[in-house]
Amino acid sequence: MTVQAVILAAGEGTRLRPLTQNRPKALIPVGNRPILEHLVDSLLKCGIRDIIVVVGYRKEQVMQHLIRLPVQVRVVEQKDQLGTGHALFCARDLISDDLLVLPGDNYVDPLSLKELLQISNSMLITTHIHPSNFGVVQIEDGLVKGIIEKPAHANRMTVSCGVYYLKHAFLADMTEFNLTDAINTIISKGNPIAAVYALEWQDAIYPWDLLSMNSRLLRQTSSSRAGTISAGAIIEGVVSIGRGSVIGPHCVIRGPTVIGDDCVISSNVVINPDTSIGSRVVIEPFSVLGDSLVMDDCIIASHSTVTSAVMGEACTLGEHTIIKPGSGIIEMGDEAVRSSCGVIMGNGVVSSPMIIYENSIVGNDCQIDGNNGPLRLRSKVIPDHTRVM
Amino acid sequence: MCGIVGYIGYRQAAPVLLDCLKQLEYRGYDSYGVATRSDGISIYKKKGNVSNILPDASALQGICGIGHTRWATHGIPSDINAHPHLDCKGRIVVVHNGIIENYAVLKRDLISRGHTFRSETDTEVIPHLLEDAYEGNLLEAMSRIVEKLEGSYAILAISEDDNCIVAARNQSPLVLGIGDNELFAASDITPLLEYTNRVIYLEDGDIAEIHPDTHMIYQGSIIQDRQVQEIQWTPDTVQKGGFAHFMLKEIYEQPDVINRAIHSLTPQSLPSFFRDTRSITVVACGSSYHAGFIFRYLIESTCGIPVRVELGSEYKYNSIPFGDLIIGISQSGETADTLSAIKKGNCNNVPTIAITNVLNSTITRHADATILMQAGPEISVAATKSFIAQLGILLQVVNLLSGNACDAILSHAGFAIKKVLQLELGEAVHLCSSANHIFFVGRGSFYPVMMEGALKMKEISYIHAEAYAAGEIKHGPFSLLSSETPVVAICMPGPAYAVMLGNLKEMKARGTPIIAIGSKDDTELYELVDVLIPLEVEHLYLQILTSTVILQLLAYHTATNLGREIDKPRNLAKSVTVE
Repeated sequence: MTVQAVILAAGEGTRLRPLTQNRPKALIPVGNRPILEHLVDSLLKCGIRDIIVVVGYRKEQVMQHLIRLPVQVRVVEQKDQLGTGHALFCARDLISDDLLVLPGDNYVDPLSLKELLQISNSMLITTHIHPSNFGVVQIEDGLVKGIIEKPAHANRMTVSCGVYYLKHAFLADMTEFNLTDAINTIISKGNPIAAVYALEWQDAIYPWDLLSMNSRLLRQTSSSRAGTISAGAIIEGVVSIGRGSVIGPHCVIRGPTVIGDDCVISSNVVINPDTSIGSRVVIEPFSVLGDSLVMDDCIIASHSTVTSAVMGEACTLGEHTIIKPGSGIIEMGDEAVRSSCGVIMGNGVVSSPMIIYENSIVGNDCQIDGNNGPLRLRSKVIPDHTRVM
Repeated sequence: MCGIVGYIGYRQAAPVLLDCLKQLEYRGYDSYGVATRSDGISIYKKKGNVSNILPDASALQGICGIGHTRWATHGIPSDINAHPHLDCKGRIVVVHNGIIENYAVLKRDLISRGHTFRSETDTEVIPHLLEDAYEGNLLEAMSRIVEKLEGSYAILAISEDDNCIVAARNQSPLVLGIGDNELFAASDITPLLEYTNRVIYLEDGDIAEIHPDTHMIYQGSIIQDRQVQEIQWTPDTVQKGGFAHFMLKEIYEQPDVINRAIHSLTPQSLPSFFRDTRSITVVACGSSYHAGFIFRYLIESTCGIPVRVELGSEYKYNSIPFGDLIIGISQSGETADTLSAIKKGNCNNVPTIAITNVLNSTITRHADATILMQAGPEISVAATKSFIAQLGILLQVVNLLSGNACDAILSHAGFAIKKVLQLELGEAVHLCSSANHIFFVGRGSFYPVMMEGALKMKEISYIHAEAYAAGEIKHGPFSLLSSETPVVAICMPGPAYAVMLGNLKEMKARGTPIIAIGSKDDTELYELVDVLIPLEVEHLYLQILTSTVILQLLAYHTATNLGREIDKPRNLAKSVTVE
């Protein structure tokens, strides 16, 4: 028996803005590889090679990434993002077997998937401290009784991971636009669905969730050394350094950390654990980084401290920038959320010297200009293309 | 120009050959054919695309065969003129890529000796010559007849009595692919990637005998030992992966391509000829010519080195290779005209540098130094990512020669391109789609950018598109402007801005619809033109790259809007290996 996997990667992930303004959620690099790629890795480890990916929002970018995967995948387009059930419906012509449905923007480990594949008609569940963002699952005797999508108040902590292993036959009665409703219909018709507890599963609902996803996925990387590493540099733990990168003298790099291709890490830079640094990133002398996700083409000027930061592509930080973790209530869209991070930056942010960030969100292409004097941003949300004086 | 492929091994040859031919279609696609050998020789050949009509595989039995996809040079595209070609008795069959220049003489001679010719092709002389020379061993027959052939050729031949494929090469590309108990031969590595990544590049004058498990390569009668090379391209990189067309896929690859191209050239790897040259001649054809033209604007203004940019096909008429250095730019490395310019440089003791995408292509073996642009295989006939890669290489040359002044700017090139890939061009596409003529105008280094934009537009949308330096419009083309002829212009803030805006106002006064690429904050331009495509005001280098990508997208979307065949425009082939 073969199993087909359908990865739903058509959605944008609006709550992850500004990071999803320019790319779909599934393509956010975590540990220097898009979430989608980590997921495909898990599938390959379970021996599943027949993979179908449903694309929609910024589909060209997704396809561009899929081409580079070690396995050939088939691509289906969902023109309008009407829901997860509809996304699956778009792929129906390619489905000929029992299928594994996975959201493209969550990480699931291969062992949980193997467990799931033992029982046909099953789904992955887990517990979560904020269940109201997920489908809350009611379970009796290991069987799912029903799923309530994003309830306002939830007593139970058990939530659906959105990963289902379904018999091919069920696809025929799939009429709902929402996958959760479809599953509820299947249950109400008297077909049992088994609940399998996920060992490792992670979703990023809000941008700061990426930091914990990052540290989790970094634990799976292995050491590799390419590029030029100066003799005086101290490298401890699992550290992967890409082609053409230069590590200057007296740098201290502690793993787990990944550094992409063609980076310049100047002398006396300290990189603490749980840090992902993309390609072509420049870090000037005497800066300290840790617990952060720095995407491609960023420049971090000298004497900066960067902790708990998610930095989009091509951001520039001036000298003596301080990013420190904090927590507080911030407004995202029309909801007030408790956040805890240093800073979340979109693409192309330019920040002048001596800015202090704490628990803030900075939109794409913003300019933060402190007139070379100190400026403190605490629990602030700055929209795209803003110039802060 | 054509693509050829051969297979010998354990699988049924016909499906393998057809699969390979599909991958080779970019070399030519007006007709195709395959021949297989089992008890006898079976042949199937047809006019049209390989993908369109597939023959009945049961009629083509055998585990040894050859195939061909044709680009007509001698004789119109037709079923009869399609390869493979047979001798009189139907025992020897041949596919050929290249041109036999003395075929008329050979053909007359063969006819006088009683041979019957079925087609109008130059190729058909080869099987007949082989028939005459055949004394029980195909390899020996081949080595006797190649002396008589003048011109360029890559030949694969099989016969009813020999359980092998015989290959010969002179000035046309041919590679062998080594599998497990199977061997392939093809015009280039693209079709082989699905089966093996171990290849041998044949040299001029090589004749090879290919068996499933062994191969012997001869130069004259001496056995040659050629190195097996491992290819890093994976088969996935040559497939579309969900994109509607290869061209779109290649456009979206450009952010990565530009980063790779720029980083491939370091102060250490820059050929030393650049350091002390007093003048440069760039020779190229098509898109590569435009890349050379942009290079000229940039290096003359930043380094003060005079540059001459020449079309490959015209260079031979200028008898003196003028300049201290000749740069030949060719994506495939097989462009005949560019090659001949490099050879001319060799003969006159002028150092030559090749910029190409294909490792070990013919041009790399003639040039003194080679810069690889590392764009990966390009399938779409209209060049996109290879052009961007050429620009990346040339911009990096300028940067290195001017003391790494623009390192930081160039490192953001990929990001800049990523941003413009998200632009919405609907209105501009709509305007272009309904036009019969489009003018592309620019000033300074944007003039060659516009030449490239116009080339892309006419190549794939079949709309007549012409590029002019904005100042030249008033010297003639102005009389053609009307409300029916849209103008695409670049009007970015910079030294040429005021004059350019003046030019656009004059055009607007004639009722010409204008699509302008300009700064998004430019209200004056916004009010003047019909469609403003907003671009960020960045360094000139980045503006050149991003505006090129916008023009590629404009051409692509216009062509899809008009329902054109994007990847294989009519009458065009990817690399032009004839003069």
